[in-house]
Amino acid sequence: MSIDQKLSPLRKGLLEFLVLKIVSGTSVYVADILKRLAGTEFATQEGTLYPLLSKLRREGLVEYRWQESDAGPPRKYYRLTPAGQAQLGELDGYWVRINKTISELGN
Amino acid sequence: MRQVITVSLNGRAYQLEDDAYAALAAYLGEAARTLAGNPDKDEIVADLEQAIADKCDRGLGVHKTVVVRSELAAILEEMGPVDGEDREPAPGPAPGAAPGAAGAPAGGAGSGAAPRRLYQISEGALVSGVCNGIAAYFDLDVTVVRLAFVLLVFLTGGAALLAYLVLMFVVPYASTSEEHAAARGLPFNARALVERAKQKAAEFASSADWHTSKAQWKDEWRRTRAEWRSEWRRARAEWRAQRWSRSPPAPPPAPVPYAAHVASGCLLAVVGIVLAVFTVGWLFAVASLVTTGAIFGWWLPHGAPFWLGIILLIVVYQLVALPLKAIRRAAYYPAGYHAPWLAAWDGVAGLAVLAALAWYGYHHVPELHDLFDRVTQAIDRVVASV
Repeated sequence: MSIDQKLSPLRKGLLEFLVLKIVSGTSVYVADILKRLAGTEFATQEGTLYPLLSKLRREGLVEYRWQESDAGPPRKYYRLTPAGQAQLGELDGYWVRINKTISELGN
Repeated sequence: MRQVITVSLNGRAYQLEDDAYAALAAYLGEAARTLAGNPDKDEIVADLEQAIADKCDRGLGVHKTVVVRSELAAILEEMGPVDGEDREPAPGPAPGAAPGAAGAPAGGAGSGAAPRRLYQISEGALVSGVCNGIAAYFDLDVTVVRLAFVLLVFLTGGAALLAYLVLMFVVPYASTSEEHAAARGLPFNARALVERAKQKAAEFASSADWHTSKAQWKDEWRRTRAEWRSEWRRARAEWRAQRWSRSPPAPPPAPVPYAAHVASGCLLAVVGIVLAVFTVGWLFAVASLVTTGAIFGWWLPHGAPFWLGIILLIVVYQLVALPLKAIRRAAYYPAGYHAPWLAAWDGVAGLAVLAALAWYGYHHVPELHDLFDRVTQAIDRVVASV
């Protein structure tokens, strides 16, 4: 198993966390999210992002509203729900704990 | 000049060249399949369509109104494969409707998805692409299919080779991208079965008590194998007893009258020729069924699938050939089973008739001509690859 294969489930799990983080700022639409992730090791594609957003929406963590755009048809702008806000806070805390554990274990 | 197909992407019209259309249809079909069982499937597909439409807009203008294949391929590359892996096992919002649909992902994929078909795939083929096509059909590794095929050839004493030839002749080649998509397309029952088995195996392999279960599994396997072996031995012994019970194990060396020699020789020749002619006629019937959908002008009952015709032909062949073979076997006995000249005569007569008919067919039946050419090409390819 290559290192990339080992890291892929980790990246996949973290993507949800990162999307929540991006959505938490201002309300964004999909192209914004893709752009924010593009340069990072979490670069992703519509084929992954749309199903993920729909899952988050079903779980009540994000919501969207339609907004007119200058070019083309109206777009879906996503933002966090209060439940999403709460979960993001928990995830943030968990991430800090993990980092602490890792750095304490290493020497 | 190319044909242009107009499609509606989330409510707006786009013009695609025909092969770009095929690629898009394959992508969206695959998306619908992957998302089958997802309660938001329609919404996600609409989102994907909108994203594709936006990307198409980038390349279109007043003087460029049609999307071509290479542009669409780049767009789909950008979109990436649709991710359906981590859908929840039981979606919360629709508790009433869920249980039946959740268990059978194939059921939800009906609308708009192309049905999966068996094709020969010549890309990366070793001989003709039959194994390749079967592998695509069941979503298996082609090496596994090839090994299984070789095993089958040994187990069936070569009959699987014949089956391969028939498939080579019967199964069409996937040439368009739509056909390629269909070759790997809709999961239907058999594929779902394989899929489930693979998943089970993966679950089993990753289960926490792997080491204890491995020992159990080994025991189980050893026991099953022993059972198989004894079963096989018993079956073989029975089969032997049956086969040899008609002729005494050691034929009495009584002198056989000369007339009996001649009579059985003639009988052998006649039966051999009749059998060979019938076999060739039967092959023609199969060819006729495959190419025209009718057996020498006799149409199958309306709505009957064409594989039913093949099975029918096989049954008819066995019904006619079995008594002929029995007569032939009986004809050996007056001369004693071990008369080599008889066996040789029987073989030579049969081969000669087959060869003559094959020669005639090659020069006068275009379908057979094609088949021979394809077989020789395939052999050439195998030789070249060795």
